[in-house]
This record gives sequence, C-alpha cells and structure tokens, in this order.
Amino acid sequence: MANILTQNDIQHIDYKDVDLLKQFVNPHGRVMSRKRTDLTAKQQRAVEAAVKRARFMGLLPYIQK
Amino acid sequence: MAEEINAAANTSENEVVLRIYEVGYHIIPTVLEENVEKVVGDIRTVIEKAGGSFIAEGAPAMTRLAYEMEHQDGDKRSYFDKAYFGWIKFEAPIASAAALEEFLKTNVSFLRHIIFQTVREETRAKIKAPTLREVKRTDTIKSSPRRTEEASAPVSEVDLDKALLDITE
Repeated sequence: MANILTQNDIQHIDYKDVDLLKQFVNPHGRVMSRKRTDLTAKQQRAVEAAVKRARFMGLLPYIQK
Repeated sequence: MAEEINAAANTSENEVVLRIYEVGYHIIPTVLEENVEKVVGDIRTVIEKAGGSFIAEGAPAMTRLAYEMEHQDGDKRSYFDKAYFGWIKFEAPIASAAALEEFLKTNVSFLRHIIFQTVREETRAKIKAPTLREVKRTDTIKSSPRRTEEASAPVSEVDLDKALLDITE
C-alpha cells in the first residue's frame, strides 16, 4: 500500500502543515521510522526537515510527556 | 582570447542571481494588533530595498506555541507561549537573505524567525490526509439527536410550587 504522501499526491512538505506532520511523529514527539511511515527515502528526508523547522518555530513540540 | 575570458567573467559577476526564499516569523504578543501590520511592513521594506519581489504571503495570526520561548529586550528577559505567526515567500538576490536575517535579529519585536530556500510552487498540502483519530471518531461516537428547545411559556407561581412539592415529596 502506498504511503500517505503518494496517496494524496503531495509533492512538497511544508513546515506549516502541522496536521500533516503530526502523522509522522509518535505521541512522544519523535519522528517515526521509515518502517512505520512507509515513505520513500526522499520523502522521509523532506518530512524530517519540515518537522525540525516546525519544532524550531514552536509549531510542534521537541518532546511530549 | 584573454579579453574574451575577462569579459565573460565580468558578465557573470554582474549577473544578479535570484533565489526563492521563505521567511517565517513570530512577533511578540505584547505588540498591539493594530501595530502588527506595521512590523510586517518593515520586513517587506527590507526585502524590496534588496531588490526582492513577493510571491506569496501568510498574514500574521495569534498562534499558541508548542513550548515557551525566551525573548530578550536589553536586560529584560521574558517568556512567551503565544505569538503572531506569519510568513512571506519571496524572490530576491542572495545578499538580501543575509540583510533580512540581520534585520530580524536586531528588531526586538520578533520572537523568532526562520529563512530558508524553497520552491516557487505552492508547498502547502491541499488535501488533508485522513488521520487515524478521525476514523476512530466516526466509528465510536454516534450522533445523538439534539434536544429540541422546549417552548418557554410563562410559568405561574402555583405551577412552580406544585412541581417543587412533587419533587420533595
């Protein structure tokens, strides 16, 4: 089965799309592994970069208790 | 031959390389709502001065932050858990990004900022991907019929007393 990004034809990952990014982080706020996300290597790198930008800008937490 | 090479080098030096950037910023919540637009106007002025042109923009809106951020204004240190978040996508020469970075660093109205290279196309996801939570919600929560408001007619004192007696007895 294709991943969420391919299914919805999402070409770019924006750090402002917090709801989309939340699907790639676990309840502790850590980025899920490729095994779980089922993304391609390129997509996974884009998601990681976007999550880091979102964290820096306070849109996503670094850690969640 | 040497002149030709020199001429080629000169043209490449004079050419202004334009790149697409996006700036995201948080304006401190103590700035009055009517003054927020003025603060954003300052960013626009810096970009325009450096020869940039705007592609897209997100107006600043009050946003709750995921964690508290420290802000230093001289000797005064304060912490904020909300801020006006906005963004601008623009095309500008390489030097303008450094100029904008310097402006944002020195201006005390900004809590935090980010500047990075991006693409001209719209990067926001148009389709909201279905979440597991949403699926669960439709599965578990059944819609209960909303209680219709009973027509409120004037209630007499006698009826009220009778009803109270019925309850207490």
